[in-house]
Amino acid sequence: MTDLAVETNGLCRRFGELEAVRNVNLRVEAGQFFGFLGPNGAGKSTTIKMLTGLLEPTAGQVRILGLDLASDPIGVKSQIGVVPEGLALFDRLTGPEYLIFAGRMYGLDRVTAAERTEELLDFMGLADRAKSLIVDYSHGMKKKLAMAAAVIHGPKVLFLDEPFEGVDAIASGTLKAMLNRMIARGATIFLTSHVLEIVERLCSHVAIIHRGELVAQSSIDELRCGVSGRRDDEQKLSLEQIFLEIVGGERAAVPELSWLE
Amino acid sequence: MAGVISAPGKSTQLVLVAWLRWRLFINGLRTATGKLNLAVHIFMGAGISLGVVGLGVLLGVGSWYAIRYGKPALVAGELWLVFLVWLLLPLLISGFGAESDPVSLLRFPLHYSSFVLLAFAHGVFDPAAAACLYWLAAMLPGIAAASFGALAWAIPAFAGLALLNLLLNRAIYAWLSRWMAQRRTREILGAVGILLAISGQFITPLANRYGQRALPWVPRLTAAARLLPPGMAAAAISFGRAGSGGKACAELAGLLACCGVLGWLLALRLRAEYRGENLSEARRPSIEAYTPVRAGWSMAGVSPTVAALFEKDLRYLLRNIMAYLTLLTPVLVIVVLSMGRHGSPHPKLAGFMLGPSTYFPLGVAYILLTVVGLAFNSMAYDGSGLPMLFAAPIRFRDVILAKNLLHTLVLTAEIVAVFVVIQLVAGHTPARVVGLTLAGALWALLANLTAGNLVSLYSPRKLKLGQMRRQQASGVAVLVSLGVQVCVAGLGAALYFLSRWAGNTAWCGIGFLALAGITWLAYRRVLNLVTGIAWKRREALLAELSRPD
Repeated sequence: MTDLAVETNGLCRRFGELEAVRNVNLRVEAGQFFGFLGPNGAGKSTTIKMLTGLLEPTAGQVRILGLDLASDPIGVKSQIGVVPEGLALFDRLTGPEYLIFAGRMYGLDRVTAAERTEELLDFMGLADRAKSLIVDYSHGMKKKLAMAAAVIHGPKVLFLDEPFEGVDAIASGTLKAMLNRMIARGATIFLTSHVLEIVERLCSHVAIIHRGELVAQSSIDELRCGVSGRRDDEQKLSLEQIFLEIVGGERAAVPELSWLE
Repeated sequence: MAGVISAPGKSTQLVLVAWLRWRLFINGLRTATGKLNLAVHIFMGAGISLGVVGLGVLLGVGSWYAIRYGKPALVAGELWLVFLVWLLLPLLISGFGAESDPVSLLRFPLHYSSFVLLAFAHGVFDPAAAACLYWLAAMLPGIAAASFGALAWAIPAFAGLALLNLLLNRAIYAWLSRWMAQRRTREILGAVGILLAISGQFITPLANRYGQRALPWVPRLTAAARLLPPGMAAAAISFGRAGSGGKACAELAGLLACCGVLGWLLALRLRAEYRGENLSEARRPSIEAYTPVRAGWSMAGVSPTVAALFEKDLRYLLRNIMAYLTLLTPVLVIVVLSMGRHGSPHPKLAGFMLGPSTYFPLGVAYILLTVVGLAFNSMAYDGSGLPMLFAAPIRFRDVILAKNLLHTLVLTAEIVAVFVVIQLVAGHTPARVVGLTLAGALWALLANLTAGNLVSLYSPRKLKLGQMRRQQASGVAVLVSLGVQVCVAGLGAALYFLSRWAGNTAWCGIGFLALAGITWLAYRRVLNLVTGIAWKRREALLAELSRPD
């Protein structure tokens, strides 16, 4: 039996009348680079918040590396790293102060936290802004810092909510290299992104959530075969085409705007 | 593709902006809070309007009296009142915060003249401006009734003063907005605002102490005030009524010259804004010299997690200019109190009420009120970083404990500072008083931390560093805090008077320590509960404290 890094059973979340996430059963094997896709408002961020303990599910169970999140939150959190939607930075600290703080929150001793901070600042190209407060960083720098804080303790599972949004090509290359290195060392990465080209290039497996329900979950190749079979297409489909086929089929004909003719 | 259409005319643009404001207002009424706010504004507005109308009548009568009986200084005084209200009231209401401005509309093809008109519309539709315009108008019938000839000079003089006020108000806001656009200058300006407010506390004691010596300066100040715009407007009316048309014209020309200078300063800003100056929050990127990373702090007696959290909270406090000023206030108040004692007209009474024995308990009480205010909304400044604390493998107990340690440290530092100040300014505080006060402070601190920890989790409110505007804890936090202070003060006073009645105030100290012991048990119990409470309430906490600005 394969080890599961992330497993959910009947995961649901309601906000009043709205059922944002409905009966989601995710299976992410250890060592996978997993992309979690869906249109705006589909329930991606809600799901990732429930997986990382930032939001309580209305029903269902979350297990990370075999540990139940509800009964052992501290045990689960020690194993994971998170870059949440809003980045969760204490912006009145400097970059190094924040990284040391994050390291110590995950149980690193003072010296190790400082050593890794130095290494991470250098790797992320933030060493020359070590004295600046985070509030004065650009968006891309904040994103790199949040990523650095998420990996400082060497997590086994990394959850990333839109990690490449607002990041320039150079920084994006650095982040991708780091993520690939983590995968090579056996970590599991679970990311959401709207940039399907990046997901296609990085991820081996994907799941697609649409209107709160999981509508697809498999490797990209399996998904491609399934959709191609339905379409009887000969050419290799891109992830974007697969995605549109699954969630956007009902809007095949794009309406036209009269004044843009 | 369709051809490019031309930008709408200026009047259409102004109508569109008026429509936008109206829709924003109407849409704001969709929520119960919006409707309640409107009701409060109408209710308060009605009360304030009555006051404004009443003062207008008084000003009208005053100007009639001044012209009728030849008292030009009275007209000048009235005009100074109008001038200062128009200038200062909007600033105090906005709390040195940036107001909404037409710059946000510049992404549309807005004509420069429309942009300028919108900037002025903000100034004219300001409540303070409307009240001041009414007051100026209300003075005219009084002047006309006293001397119809003076009215001919009053109308241009008041129009000039109104124009000058409008330009000055807009120029101040335009320049304030420029400074408010960047975090550092915004914080410095906020700090200046608080310093001004604190300085107000010193007026009475300084007047008591140095009032007599300052009297010779009054005529010089009056002469200087005469050269400023309200003085010029009053002088124009006075000269005009006396038949010195040339001098009156010169005063009006001076007023217009001031308008010209202010208009030029305002135009500089408006043109820069219209051209699209870049005033982003982010500082210009600069390469900093390499500095080796230092390891975090270690603290004896607490876990590394608590030490790291304490370090983070202390760094936050040290980078909050507003907090410095708030914490500085108790020390300043003690200085003010001691100055007031020396200048009191009834030294015997003042000596009985205030002295070295009473300054210390008073100072500590004031410090407690200031510091425990932080404890009732202890996560106010964690803001966007809070999700990290929930995602990390830590117990929330540690987060709260670190904050409690910080508040205790601040309280201790403040008490030491006030003690030293009292010894230097007012003299020796008896050891018995120091002991009693410290025992009482220990109990009060524990009681406040116990209640504050629960309130911080059940009724938090996000506050922004470096801002004065709308920076208050929740109503529940204020109410519970007040309740705790009343209980502590009531019980403390009862204990003190009982012990005095028994003939030995040492009993009071023992009582305080016993209460501190009991409260300590409650504090421990609450501290052990907060991890579970925070975990259950994490959604509400994140929604309130981490919401985007």
